[in-house]
Amino acid sequence: MTRLAQAGLGAVALAALIACGSRVEAPPPSTLAVAELLGPADTAGFERATGGREFHFPADHGPHDGYRTEWWYYTGNLADPTGRRFGYQLTFFRSSLTATPAERSSAWGADQVFMAHFTVTDVDRQRFVSHERFARRALGLAGAQTEPFRIWVEDWSALGEPAGSVRLQAQAGDTEIDLEVGSGKPPVLQGDAGLSQKGAGLGNASYYYSQTRMPTAGRVSISGESFEVSGESWLDREWSTSVLEAGQIGWDWFSLQLDDRHELMVYVIRREDGSADPNSAGTLVEPDGSSRSVEPSRWRLEPTGSWTSPESGARYPSGWTLSVPTAGLELEITPLVVDQELRHTFRYWEGAVAVSGTSGGEPITGRGYVELTGY
Amino acid sequence: MSPVLRRLSRRHFTRHPWQALLAVLGVGLGVAVVVSIDLANASALRAFRLSSEAVTGKATHRLVAGPAGMPEELFVRLRVDHRLRPSAPVVSGYVGVTDRPGRTLRLLGLDPFSEAGFRTYLERDTAQVELDRFLTAPDTVWLAPGTGADLGVGPGDPLDLELAGMPRRVRIGGLLEPHELRAESLNDILVADISTAQELLDFQGRLSRIELILADDGEARLRELAAALPPGVTLERAGSAGTTGERMTGAFRTNLQALSLLALLCGAFLIYNTVTFAVLQRRRLFGTLRALGVTRRELFTLILGEAAAIGAVGAALGLAGGVWLGRGLVGQVTRTINDLYFAVAVQSLDLDPFVLAKGAVLAVGASLIAALAPAVEATSTSPRSALDRAELESRTHRAVPRASAAGLALLAVGAVLLLLPSSGLPASFAGLFLLLLGFALLTPAATMLLIAILTPVAGLLFGQLGRIGGRGVVAALSRTAVAISALMIAVSVIVGVDVMVRSFRTTVEGWLEYSLPADLYLSAGSAPTGSLDGVRPGFDAEFVERLGVLDGVEAMSTLRQTTVRTASGDTRLIAVDLDARSFGSFAFKEGDRQEIWPAFERGAAAIVSEPYASRTGVTRGSEIAFETPAGRRTWPVLGVYFDYASELGAVTISRRAYVDLWGDQSVTAISIRALPGTDVAVLEEAIRAAGGERRLLMRSNQAIRDDSLRVFDRTFVITGTLRLLATLVAFVGVLSAFMALQLERSRELGVLRAQGLTPGQLWRLVTSQTGLMGLTAGLLALPVGITTAAVMIYVINRRSFGWTLEMQLSPEPLLAAVGVAVGAALIAGVYPAYRMSQTPPAEALRSE
Repeated sequence: MTRLAQAGLGAVALAALIACGSRVEAPPPSTLAVAELLGPADTAGFERATGGREFHFPADHGPHDGYRTEWWYYTGNLADPTGRRFGYQLTFFRSSLTATPAERSSAWGADQVFMAHFTVTDVDRQRFVSHERFARRALGLAGAQTEPFRIWVEDWSALGEPAGSVRLQAQAGDTEIDLEVGSGKPPVLQGDAGLSQKGAGLGNASYYYSQTRMPTAGRVSISGESFEVSGESWLDREWSTSVLEAGQIGWDWFSLQLDDRHELMVYVIRREDGSADPNSAGTLVEPDGSSRSVEPSRWRLEPTGSWTSPESGARYPSGWTLSVPTAGLELEITPLVVDQELRHTFRYWEGAVAVSGTSGGEPITGRGYVELTGY
Repeated sequence: MSPVLRRLSRRHFTRHPWQALLAVLGVGLGVAVVVSIDLANASALRAFRLSSEAVTGKATHRLVAGPAGMPEELFVRLRVDHRLRPSAPVVSGYVGVTDRPGRTLRLLGLDPFSEAGFRTYLERDTAQVELDRFLTAPDTVWLAPGTGADLGVGPGDPLDLELAGMPRRVRIGGLLEPHELRAESLNDILVADISTAQELLDFQGRLSRIELILADDGEARLRELAAALPPGVTLERAGSAGTTGERMTGAFRTNLQALSLLALLCGAFLIYNTVTFAVLQRRRLFGTLRALGVTRRELFTLILGEAAAIGAVGAALGLAGGVWLGRGLVGQVTRTINDLYFAVAVQSLDLDPFVLAKGAVLAVGASLIAALAPAVEATSTSPRSALDRAELESRTHRAVPRASAAGLALLAVGAVLLLLPSSGLPASFAGLFLLLLGFALLTPAATMLLIAILTPVAGLLFGQLGRIGGRGVVAALSRTAVAISALMIAVSVIVGVDVMVRSFRTTVEGWLEYSLPADLYLSAGSAPTGSLDGVRPGFDAEFVERLGVLDGVEAMSTLRQTTVRTASGDTRLIAVDLDARSFGSFAFKEGDRQEIWPAFERGAAAIVSEPYASRTGVTRGSEIAFETPAGRRTWPVLGVYFDYASELGAVTISRRAYVDLWGDQSVTAISIRALPGTDVAVLEEAIRAAGGERRLLMRSNQAIRDDSLRVFDRTFVITGTLRLLATLVAFVGVLSAFMALQLERSRELGVLRAQGLTPGQLWRLVTSQTGLMGLTAGLLALPVGITTAAVMIYVINRRSFGWTLEMQLSPEPLLAAVGVAVGAALIAGVYPAYRMSQTPPAEALRSE
């Protein structure tokens, strides 16, 4: 879900966050005012997520150029044969700069910009590496296409393989991933049959689906060491034109894969006054792939600790208890590395977590990813 | 130094305040000129460095190619396939401003997503750049606030540009506020997205360069990648553009500096003059002091101390004056650099403390050196002979042969320095200075000779008084020789610079005459002629064809000017398409036109301009190799032609070869010869009609000639300023010298008055004497000035710029110089004559 605005390609989100004088600090200087790219949310001319729609696959895996913002969000927990654990994130954000592109004779002329984030978490060594890239959709520097499926920013890419799996490749410095990601369970439509309402206003919503348990195998390299790994990934797909509203400052988002083949996604949209927005949501996926919404009133999320970034000074919650009584779940969520903060154009925390607790009274464990924005 | 001596010194200068004043003024003026030129030079250089930093950013290397740039896919390939980063594509070119004819802006097209690490002015915390508009709004550019204010545009305003005559209206997207660079480094730069720049410059599909930041091990990597580079694309170290620019303007700046040193030389003479007088006047006093037991060392210290004081006060005055003057000159210097080399737009003066310190040291140093000789003289004389004036004069006369011998020796050393072919520019200037000093040392002997000839003439004109005046000059040689030398040097510098500039101008005029045989000239304009980088928009081939078939066109030549790479770095390449008759517009210094033409026309030979040949050593019989998109190509050089358009020089080949190799069809200038009997005005109209919406810069050969000469004259405005200052220094010098001389003669004149000389006769006496001295200085200045001119023309200009000038001697500057000398001398005599004539003889006799 929500990774949505996070990186902020959700223009609106950022504008709103800044306008509300939230604790979002100015990101470190980077090239160009990407935040302004998100700029004053001029939604005119873009399509909006205003009602139900039918999802078609594989077509909907590809881009939806009529919407302002869209992302492909791969995260996963992996381990090598000796049990050494890794987390990774490879995300591609597409952002339309204008709904009414001018006719350009230069091949550099672009109306879309892509941003990508790539992280690797080395659990045993307690290391976390993150990188960011931008490129315009021009000259093959970046783009998204359905047939064959390919999303890329320069040499980072998600590429559809003939067998139906997706190959993720990214390299920066001595950090590299090359992973084969299968589809696993069928796509889960989040929110109301894929329409995920984020604010009270009509159209302040996104279309949102997830692939919650994707078998993954390949290679992870960090600091020059290379590891054969396998594990499971989670894909979040979301596209929208406007999402957050005034008063909403950020969110806490959880994607959890339990060892009994259940998956749980919950997010809390936080308001300026510290309360949780009623548009927070949750979804429980059954082992057979069927899913059901879990109303915010049906679960309870409590932070158990906090961590202050030595770099940015931001104070994030670190560690939670999550109880979903209707599903019989009492879970404890622990970051595998406390510092999994991405300090780029947009600063946020996104990292691998361990899950333990009980399901129907029986002990259970799991893994997942957590995203914290607006701190 | 004892307080008594110090008081003595103070007393002397309070009794003769004008003497101290003029000395201080002379030093001050000399230092002011040197400091102002230094400051202006340093500011212009810094301006250049800043703007090249703004343009090149922090790249360590770059990939460059010829006129057509490189395919943009190369960037994508390097970045995606070879993971070569940081790497930044750049499209750079020049555009004209419609409302400001002659004003050129640099358009810099950048990809904001590749900029991190290179340039900082697109950073979010400083830039008012909205990324969406930067990327998607066509024809939108960003600029620095200063440039915007200068052009009278702000965010949202339209700005009318011209590209090869085609009007293009752009919109100001916003202002750039670089935080790491001084804002002025972005002066006259328009920044746009790379797509916008390609569209404005009509450079779609191409990049001007790709910038790289390579780690130490990156070079090895690049060698691997070198295989991936298409022909014509080469890797070079960044910063070499900066050094090229510094090299380019080096000769120009050295020349300015040397001229300013000439002014200081005049100033030094002035100090010498003043200190000498101050010593000579007190010879008796010093003799008495020595007799009373003051040691030589004390006396020596006293004299040098006085000189140092004059130098220090003069330095303070000179620094203040230099800063004030520098503010005016920096405009002139940058203007010239803009005209001749590249677009820089810095008008503010950078007060470099080093330059100021140098000026102060120069002032005090020059004063001390000038005081050295009189100090030695005063202290080495025995107390008894110091009391005897006649002894001094006879000693002076005895010293004349020695001075002359020293002068001849200096002349010989100077001549060797100038004639040695291996001497560089600084050595040439040193040679010139030695020549001037040598001539100054020969002045006493020459004065004696000239006065011997002139005295009878003065006798004829003024009778007995004239003869007395003439003999007086020789009799007081210890004083008069210095004054005459100072005036002579100053006037000869004026003569030298005048003759050189006139010769230069006449040569250029002659060259313009034969090199512009056509009737009408069309120029795509925009780039400063000496600038070696950036896209130069040109006329398209289709437009050129349309012109060729117009009624009344007898012949048409086209020219494409661009920059290509050779073994000797960036080279201006001119590709011409012309017929045998138009080829006659080349005058060959080496090689025969008839022999060159067939091979040249086939595209099988190159010719080079004279400055290029002398700068690079590529001359007739050499070969020249260019990096072309088709790989390296070599041409034989068959001739060297005269050219005064650019001191950087150029290589000319036929258009046929150029189009074959570079595939570039556009041209930057067109010349049209009308059929005999054609009304050129009608033809002009037809051409304008063929141009459609293009705003054509069309000029007759006459207009081009006039424009060129205007630029020429503007270039020498600064020379004129310096000449004026040198004159001023000389004038102050002669004034102080002659006044001292005449006032010192109070007693002598008093005697004459007592013997019945009327005030009127006294006027005539003083006037005839100063007039004789002025005339002597003026006449001596002529050969010295002409020699100076010859040195500047045949040695310094050739070594600085590599071109041949024909020396033109016309009577005007020579007569004017003698006039200045005599005039200055006469004016200098007015006050003493007036004072003497007003003083009762008795008082004059009592005055000592």
